[in-house]
Amino acid sequence: MSWPQFVTVTLNGLTLAALYFIVAIGFTLIFGVLRVVNLAHGSLYLFGGYLGWSVADRTGSWVLGAVAALFVTALAGLLLQLGLLRRIHGQELREALVTIGVSIVAADLMLARWGGFTYDFSPPEVITGGLRIPLLDIGYPRYRLFVLAFAIALGLILWFVLARTRLGITVRAAIDDRDMVAAVGIDVQRLFALMFAVGAGLAGLAGVIGGSVLSISSGEDARYLLASLIVVIVGGMGSLPGTAVAAVLVALVEQYSLALFPTYAAIVSFLLMVVVLALRPQGLFGRPA
Amino acid sequence: MRKTRLLAALLLLLLLTFPLWGSAYFVGRIFTPALFFGIIALSLSLLAGYGGMVSLAQMTLAGLAGYGYGYLTITLGQPWWIGILAGLAVATLAALVFGLIAVRSTGIYFLMITVALGMVAYALANQNRSIFGGHTGILGIRAPELFGHSLVERTIFYYLCLAVGLATYGFVRYLAGTPFGLALQALRDDPRRLCTLGYNVALHRVAAFTLSGFLAGIGGLLLVWYNGAISPTTIDLTRLINILVIAVIGGLAYAEGAFLGALVFVLVTNFASSFTQRFNTMIGLTFLAIVLFSPEGLSGIALRLWSLLRRTLLTRVAPSRHTGL
Repeated sequence: MSWPQFVTVTLNGLTLAALYFIVAIGFTLIFGVLRVVNLAHGSLYLFGGYLGWSVADRTGSWVLGAVAALFVTALAGLLLQLGLLRRIHGQELREALVTIGVSIVAADLMLARWGGFTYDFSPPEVITGGLRIPLLDIGYPRYRLFVLAFAIALGLILWFVLARTRLGITVRAAIDDRDMVAAVGIDVQRLFALMFAVGAGLAGLAGVIGGSVLSISSGEDARYLLASLIVVIVGGMGSLPGTAVAAVLVALVEQYSLALFPTYAAIVSFLLMVVVLALRPQGLFGRPA
Repeated sequence: MRKTRLLAALLLLLLLTFPLWGSAYFVGRIFTPALFFGIIALSLSLLAGYGGMVSLAQMTLAGLAGYGYGYLTITLGQPWWIGILAGLAVATLAALVFGLIAVRSTGIYFLMITVALGMVAYALANQNRSIFGGHTGILGIRAPELFGHSLVERTIFYYLCLAVGLATYGFVRYLAGTPFGLALQALRDDPRRLCTLGYNVALHRVAAFTLSGFLAGIGGLLLVWYNGAISPTTIDLTRLINILVIAVIGGLAYAEGAFLGALVFVLVTNFASSFTQRFNTMIGLTFLAIVLFSPEGLSGIALRLWSLLRRTLLTRVAPSRHTGL
């Protein structure tokens, strides 16, 4: 691999990691606090992407599309939690099965509404176009760097909220011991609903942000569900730094192996997961269950 | 007990004579697929019902058997019996590897890891040209021919699927009573106690998973003969989920449920499409309703109705003895 190519692949890996982080962090938060494996997470991503596209198409504003995707998928997540999951709370397997059922219905309805077409976004001009990177003398799309910056900002905000605010302390306590949090008089049901909305909303927002990197079309739901699954399996369930580190690791490994031996790239992601599970079944930053 | 046996004999008779009085469409397009999807779902019932492990990778294992058969017979031009052996070996070995990776986790973690494994296998099949044939997969796969007849001729294939279905069903039922089957059920109910008794819990889990891979592989061979081709679509996320949907609709804990669920699934996909385009929505809603309201599936509902019926009948025949119930 030549030097400019190496830099490009690394940058691709990092920006993909940023996207994986934005998608997987919602999955992690929901899993960490509620112990729900939300297998409809990919559907929320796709729903956010489609919806954001439609809003952006009507209003001509990409930002408005992203905001709409964030809030509407958050609402969808809230309904999923309050309408279906709350009544069977604590039965983990059944909850996972319910999210599977929802993903089947969602995929079919989205196919009915948006069809099998590919939709392209047009983000604002400030963050599009190419950028000449000084010293290395290579061009790189500005939008991908924006995704990277956005993910870092999101990570810092989440870290601040989790580490410094009262809500964050409650959330971390809930990840560690839900029953105790309920016992000291905190309304866990409200916390659960809030976390589900936040996690779902982030998935929807990721749909617009990720859809703008390439495009959005049916089938993307499965791709980003897999990415979320591998990232949280490698990083450890419910851990913010784990998700960040694993997103970088998984994305870099994926991009390097795609560049070096394209037809066996999937094997490398597989091996990464296997090695982590063999050495640390709870994931890199996870605590033993 | 005698009534149950009578019912089973009647059902068997109906299934055996089905090609004589059933329509060609029902024999070839409904019951035959229901049987081989049932066999794949049965491999999940074995894991979930006896071992308490809900895997989403069963379709992947079935598909790998199909890929093994296709690669050997088409790409390498080997005879069909080598293809069959290779297909089953691939599925069983893949299940062993998947099992070794996944068995340290239980419950939803196990589910999550098996989905990820299945989807990685899909990605590999999609990317790799030399073995998996990339996005197109392997085309022109032919079923074995015996005495001048292809095994996929409608009636022959129905009886083949029925025979294999009955054999695998009988095997899974038989397994429940063996020491291995009992150990599995104990492991599902209380792994820690079983461990204390000196059983190697992980080894039993791996063995069960490997066995389920073999069963799924058998179903996968029938599937690939029926389709005449295999492509990554056969093992995509939707298909992986379909197997779970089949097993859950039928009743995850019942071996019969696998076939019952498969029949319902094939019927819905075939007939719902004639009056609505959104048959996947219907399947999803049915699945949701079963998960939310009747976790025992259709088998559970049928059993409840059966015992209710018997109780009413018995009460009517001998009211004095049963009023105390």
